[in-house]
Amino acid sequence: MPKTKDRLVKCFEIVFPQLERAEIPEASQANVTAWDSIAAITLVNVIEDEFGFTMDLEALPELYSFERILAYVNTLNLAPSENN
Amino acid sequence: MNITQALEIIRNSPKGPRPFDVTLACGFTPLHLQTFLAAYLQRALPEREVKVTPGLFGSLVDTVKECSRNESPNLVIALEWADLDLRLGYRAFHVWDSGTVPELIATSEKSLENLLRILEPLATKGRIVLSTPTLPIAPIFHTNSWYLSESEAVLQAEVREFERKAIQAGISVVNEMKLATLSPSATRYDLKSDLLLGIPYSLTHADALAQALAQLMHPCTPKKGIITDLDDTLWAGLVGEVGAEGVHWDLEHHAGLHGHYQMLLASLSYAGVLVGVASKNDPEIVEKAFKRNDILLRSERIFPMEVHWHAKSGSVSRILKAWNISVDAVVFVDDNPAELAEVAAVHSGIECIQFPTRDYAAGLQVLLRLRDLYGKERLRAEDAVRLKSIRASGEFRAEEGEEISEEFLKQANAVVEFDDRPSEAGARPLELVNKTNQFNLNGIRYTESEWRAEASRPDCCFLVVDYRDRFGILGKISVLLGFLDAECLRVRTWVMSCRAFGRRIEYQCLQTLFERYAIRAIEFELIATEKNGPLRKFMTSLIDARIGQTAVLTRERFAQVCPPLYHTTTETRSSSLDAKNKGPLSEVL
Repeated sequence: MPKTKDRLVKCFEIVFPQLERAEIPEASQANVTAWDSIAAITLVNVIEDEFGFTMDLEALPELYSFERILAYVNTLNLAPSENN
Repeated sequence: MNITQALEIIRNSPKGPRPFDVTLACGFTPLHLQTFLAAYLQRALPEREVKVTPGLFGSLVDTVKECSRNESPNLVIALEWADLDLRLGYRAFHVWDSGTVPELIATSEKSLENLLRILEPLATKGRIVLSTPTLPIAPIFHTNSWYLSESEAVLQAEVREFERKAIQAGISVVNEMKLATLSPSATRYDLKSDLLLGIPYSLTHADALAQALAQLMHPCTPKKGIITDLDDTLWAGLVGEVGAEGVHWDLEHHAGLHGHYQMLLASLSYAGVLVGVASKNDPEIVEKAFKRNDILLRSERIFPMEVHWHAKSGSVSRILKAWNISVDAVVFVDDNPAELAEVAAVHSGIECIQFPTRDYAAGLQVLLRLRDLYGKERLRAEDAVRLKSIRASGEFRAEEGEEISEEFLKQANAVVEFDDRPSEAGARPLELVNKTNQFNLNGIRYTESEWRAEASRPDCCFLVVDYRDRFGILGKISVLLGFLDAECLRVRTWVMSCRAFGRRIEYQCLQTLFERYAIRAIEFELIATEKNGPLRKFMTSLIDARIGQTAVLTRERFAQVCPPLYHTTTETRSSSLDAKNKGPLSEVL
């Protein structure tokens, strides 16, 4: 089973195909122009597909970077934390 | 499909010069619907890039108006109650009093009338598909939700009336009953997503609705023929064992599923689908069974009937030859998996369906599946005469390798009618272009909008060919579309139904083109496809055609190779023909 971080990177690759894999861990709304509100919702849906849980839409404003999302996913992911 | 799969389909779309552009009009944030719609259309059109462009948030009518400026629009409309009056949705906040409901009914009616007024002219120049409200109305009525209040009934009636008028105007409307099988009403609405993001559809509903809208925007090509087994398929029982009176298809003998299957085949036959029989049986007993008064699929609706003890794959081969259609346009139905496997092994591409004799739920699915495989938006005059003309073709067709007798052609009393008015030809020409494989210049398929755009070009030459002879009426069997450039006609599309082979109609078409447009040469945009061998063979006999390059046929060369033609021809000309037909050669001629 790939690590949570790798699975999250895969989600980012689907939503932001223009990003290099190496850039993804540093990605945030501030440095990715394509990361607008529409992309944010799409990202949530793709993460839900990948991990099989439902994310709280009200948490969206807080999920503005890869790092923040990874932390959020780890709180929802029932698997033991093998994130980093 | 989930959102990840949809995004991957979109990401892998081919980039090309001829994208399939679709406008999506809806009053909410289109995000998921747009993504799924693009993905389903992309899957249906794998060789073209699909672009779905949404309109502005909250302004469905403005998006439709904007789209009407387009020459040949492809427009998808996802209408919801809030588009008729914002108060019918969940995102408007309003105090309800006794006057509100009558007011709502009036504004909704007006909104629908207004929308229809904009859509009607648009439907004449592009392809418009529409879904009417799929979500629940906000809980505003005085009754509890088990009751249908009069006001709600009036609102629903307004929508039904709007649907009826839209269909009459040529707009394709999503069937709510079918949608409900994919997306149950209780799982469609996402209040949180609607209030927080303006996205009212749950992901599953957006997926189902997009699938329906995509299917309407780019329908699957319907199958053309069905080959059926008899025992325990068309009827219950083995006719060879129990005799003609011992097989059943009625309720009394618990054989109603077979009765419904017969009814479906009969109905498909009247809609122009070819029905053949492949059965291992004694032909005499089968003939007796078909003479029963209560049979629902009468033997006149079946051609050919292959009843003997040889392999069914051979029967299928002979039926396909009689129909002259490709194997992928045919479904074979049999209750016996071994027979299905034997046919599938020989006829790669044929769709085989097992008839579930005792499993009623599976039986219903088979009936619905068959209806979908053969479904067509409109019936044409040609559908009614197809079976008759196939039978006539059987009489007409010369054996392979055998020359057609001149005497036979002379006495056929053939009449070929040419009509150059695209507006009068209806939808049959495009249907013919998009489903013909064997006599097809290059396999180019068109959407309705693209076809209309090509046919309305000022330099366009359009011909639809109608044929009949003493054996019967074939109807509209050939379509040709090209562009006139001084003394040359460049033919982009030319198809002819395989039912019309062997009658020299193709030569008559070319002769008519030379005479009608007074041209010195015809250039053909010839491309080899997997299936257009018959067309290429014909072209090779005319000219030194080089595949992939333009093939040119001169007037002189045609005069040398054209065999004697015995058709009586009639022509219906548009008024613009004279204007087109003023090249220098026309003066000489």
